[in-house]
Amino acid sequence: MKTMDRGILSNYDLKKPATRWLYYLMNLVILLMMCCMVYPILISLLNGLKANKEVNSFPPTFLPKEWHFENYKEAWNYIDLPLYFKNTMMIFAGNMVVTVLVLGLASYALSKMTIPFKSGIYYYFLMTLFIPATTYMIPNFINLKDLGLMGSFAAIWLPAGANAFFLLLLKSFMDGIHVEIFESARIDGASEARSFFQIAFPLSIPIFATLSIFVFATAWNDWFWPSFILSQENKPLSAAIRDFVLNARRLDLNIRFAILTIVLIPPVIIFLFFQKFILRGLHLGGVKG
Amino acid sequence: MEQSTAVPISQSKPQTQRSGKIKRYMWGYLFLLPAIAIFTLFLWLPIFKGVMSSFYTIDFVKGDSFVGLANYKTVFQDADVLVSVKNTLYYMGLALVIGFWVPILFAVSISEMRRFQGFARVAAYLPYVVPFVVLYGVWRWLYDPVGPINAVLKSLGIGQISFMVDRAWSMISIVIMETWQSFGSAMLIYLAAVLSVPREWYEAAEIDGAGVWQRIRHITLPAIRGQILLMLMLQLIATSQGFQTQYAMLDGGPNNATLTYALLIVRYAFVRQDYGVASALGVLMFFALSILAIIQFRINNRGGVES
Repeated sequence: MKTMDRGILSNYDLKKPATRWLYYLMNLVILLMMCCMVYPILISLLNGLKANKEVNSFPPTFLPKEWHFENYKEAWNYIDLPLYFKNTMMIFAGNMVVTVLVLGLASYALSKMTIPFKSGIYYYFLMTLFIPATTYMIPNFINLKDLGLMGSFAAIWLPAGANAFFLLLLKSFMDGIHVEIFESARIDGASEARSFFQIAFPLSIPIFATLSIFVFATAWNDWFWPSFILSQENKPLSAAIRDFVLNARRLDLNIRFAILTIVLIPPVIIFLFFQKFILRGLHLGGVKG
Repeated sequence: MEQSTAVPISQSKPQTQRSGKIKRYMWGYLFLLPAIAIFTLFLWLPIFKGVMSSFYTIDFVKGDSFVGLANYKTVFQDADVLVSVKNTLYYMGLALVIGFWVPILFAVSISEMRRFQGFARVAAYLPYVVPFVVLYGVWRWLYDPVGPINAVLKSLGIGQISFMVDRAWSMISIVIMETWQSFGSAMLIYLAAVLSVPREWYEAAEIDGAGVWQRIRHITLPAIRGQILLMLMLQLIATSQGFQTQYAMLDGGPNNATLTYALLIVRYAFVRQDYGVASALGVLMFFALSILAIIQFRINNRGGVES
């Protein structure tokens, strides 16, 4: 962090009583905000530990009166979590491979190779950014059906390569790599494929790592699209939770919270662990949102 | 941008110039080929198909049949379309009124914290990593008539509010929930901008006798003006297409109070199986949103030049 000699407020300001109270008030509001942010997350963890009767009682309690750790065991067995977790990971891994191979190669070619009509091809990719995805959501569905991909992982993996925003980020990152490296590789007789896999790709690991956060978040979060285009045995965790937990009629509230907490914990832990890295990568996302 | 100065190298070998060039072009196109194929198949083809199928009745079993403008006629005769447009505008407006200023306020406040700034940042961003399905599940309970929010309201002496069932509240509840989840990411972008304002400017303003509010009003806010405009456009583009929360939480209810335009598209497609009308709705939406996209492009481009 920067040294806080002063911000908008100076130390002199803080000596004035009115400003001082304002400062305390502001801190109080922030504290309140932090509580509001953390409460729903904590309460779902704690509700998963309560007896069902206590979760349904009014007014709601914060800490459980008796701790029912066996709820989480029951929650684990309620649906086939490992299967859906595996599916989510399959989607993540496949999307990542497609991103590296399709978008990585394309952005390398666009950034470091001499090709006729290069800017034309680049605009062919970038133009897609200006067409909001919702407007062709249904034709996209029809298209996947026409192509015969419906139900299989390929229906998620292949379109993952059609991401102009990622292409933009990758290309601008590779633009920053000095071209001399590739020139000397060419002089030494390296093929273009070798230049990509042994030079461009290793040097672009930071940007691929940032993209992997986005890709992971999408794979873990997306429930709407996969629930329509993947078959039952290929559905990711979030789609399964939506089908079997959110829309379930006969499911005790405490077990429901336990399942939700199980799904919630991995991304929260990943975030807290890689916090610095993720918050830095976010600025890239912020360029586009 | 163009850093490829590799051409002279191959030109220094005149006898292999031609074949070398072709070979290198071949590699370049080979590298671009998968991306071109995938962008064509999974983006341009559906976009093109959308325009086409808006003139057809789509039937996966019997095959499609041309119906001319009948789908568009259906759109303009459907009373739900007007309702959904109104709801979408209402949703966009509410998201501005309830949610847009929150990240700015907290970015300025948190930048002033002398201690525990890191905690505040992490806490504000934390909900952003909560998966949507968990968000829906937890907030359904928070909004429950016997849930914690109503418990607080009761202890404050305010009567019970049916956040989900009451038509007047359902859209507001959704916007509050989404603000809770997503303001942290916008906040961090503003925060970075606020912290990059040179301290000397405040120093100078203070010496000139500017009060705290004046400093915020005339230094901080103008300094982050670019970010504010950008986030405004991004939010408008996102909320104009919003439907997933409305769909998952209330399925457009109660009594179509949260039926947004995009949700109507989904309904036409997956409930009424009328893919032609759904495509027509999509085409119309495209024309409405292009205006927003063009404005965003302008702002983005200007931001790119500045930074």
